[in-house]
Amino acid sequence: MKNKNPLSQTATELAQRQLQSLRSSTTGITSAVLLSSDGFEVTSLETDKGKASRLAAMGSSLAAISSAIAKEAGISECSRLIVESEEGVVAVMKVPNSSPPLVLAVVANDASRLGQLLWGAKHCCAALSQELKEVS
Amino acid sequence: MTSDEFKILFTGPMGAGKTTAIAQLSDDACVSTDVVNTDLEQCNKEMTTAGLDYGYISLAEGYGVRLYGTPGQERFRFMWPILANNAAGVILLLNGEHPDLNDHLTMYADAFANGGDTPLVVGIGRLAANDFSRVDQVTEQLAAMGLFVPVISVDVREKDDVLLLVETLLCQIEAHEMELMEI
Repeated sequence: MKNKNPLSQTATELAQRQLQSLRSSTTGITSAVLLSSDGFEVTSLETDKGKASRLAAMGSSLAAISSAIAKEAGISECSRLIVESEEGVVAVMKVPNSSPPLVLAVVANDASRLGQLLWGAKHCCAALSQELKEVS
Repeated sequence: MTSDEFKILFTGPMGAGKTTAIAQLSDDACVSTDVVNTDLEQCNKEMTTAGLDYGYISLAEGYGVRLYGTPGQERFRFMWPILANNAAGVILLLNGEHPDLNDHLTMYADAFANGGDTPLVVGIGRLAANDFSRVDQVTEQLAAMGLFVPVISVDVREKDDVLLLVETLLCQIEAHEMELMEI
C-alpha cells in the first residue's frame, strides 16, 4: 500500500522519537502505531510494516466506534479505549488538539502494568500534541 | 431480532454515498463514525466513515429494517465480515463516474455476494441523465460473474431512490427465502 502519511518528515521524526521514549519508559510495550483518524500509519514501533498498517486501520475504526458509543451514551467525547486480555492490553487514544486528528494505538504484553501503560501513553499523547503544534 | 426485522448492509467504495443513503432513510438520527478524510487524492470529501453507519426504518405492517453501512476503503476490510454477519441482503453502491468502476464492482461483488447466495442489489450513482450504458455494462459484468441481480441508477440524495433500492432488495430477500423453502 502507498504510504499516505499526512504529516511532514520533521513532524514524523518527532513523533517517532516520542514513541521510542514511550517504549523505553514503559514496561511491556510490544508495538505502537501513531495513525491518522482515517486509518493511515504515521509512524510506528512495529518493524513489520504490513502489521503496522493493519493496526492503523483497526485503531482508526475502534477510535471512531468508541466516539460514537460515548456520544450515544451521553458521556461526551471518548478519550481512550482499553482492550484487555489475559495476555496483554491494547490501548487506543486520541492525541488532543491534533490536526489532522491523530490517534495512538499501543499494544503491550502481560508484563505491562495497566496504570503505568495508560499514564505513559497519555503523557506521550500530550507531548505529541505540544510538539506537533510547534512544527506545524 | 424478531422475524419482522431485517438487517441489510450498504457497501461500496469510498464516496459512493453509503452514509448519505442511510441518513436519508433512517427514522432517527443515525449512528455515524465519520472522521476527517486525509486521502483527498482518492476522494475529495471532508469526512469518511472509519467504523460503521447505523440507522433504522419502520416499514408498513410492523416491518422494520436495520441499516448498516461499511467503511468503503479496502484497508477497513476487516470490518466487512463483522458487519455482513447475519445480514439478509446487501446493497452495493457504486460511483458511476469513477474510472475504477469495474474494479470496484469486482472487489465488492466478490467480498459480499457470497457466490450469489446473498441477495444483492446494485445502485449506481452520479450517472448523467438517460445514460444507461454504465448500467448495462455493470449488469453484463455481474452476469459474467454468475450474478443476476437488479442494477439501478440512483441519486442517494433522493430518499425515494434509496427507498427503491431497499424495496428491491426486500423483494430479492423474499424470493431468496421462497427458493430456500422449495429446496
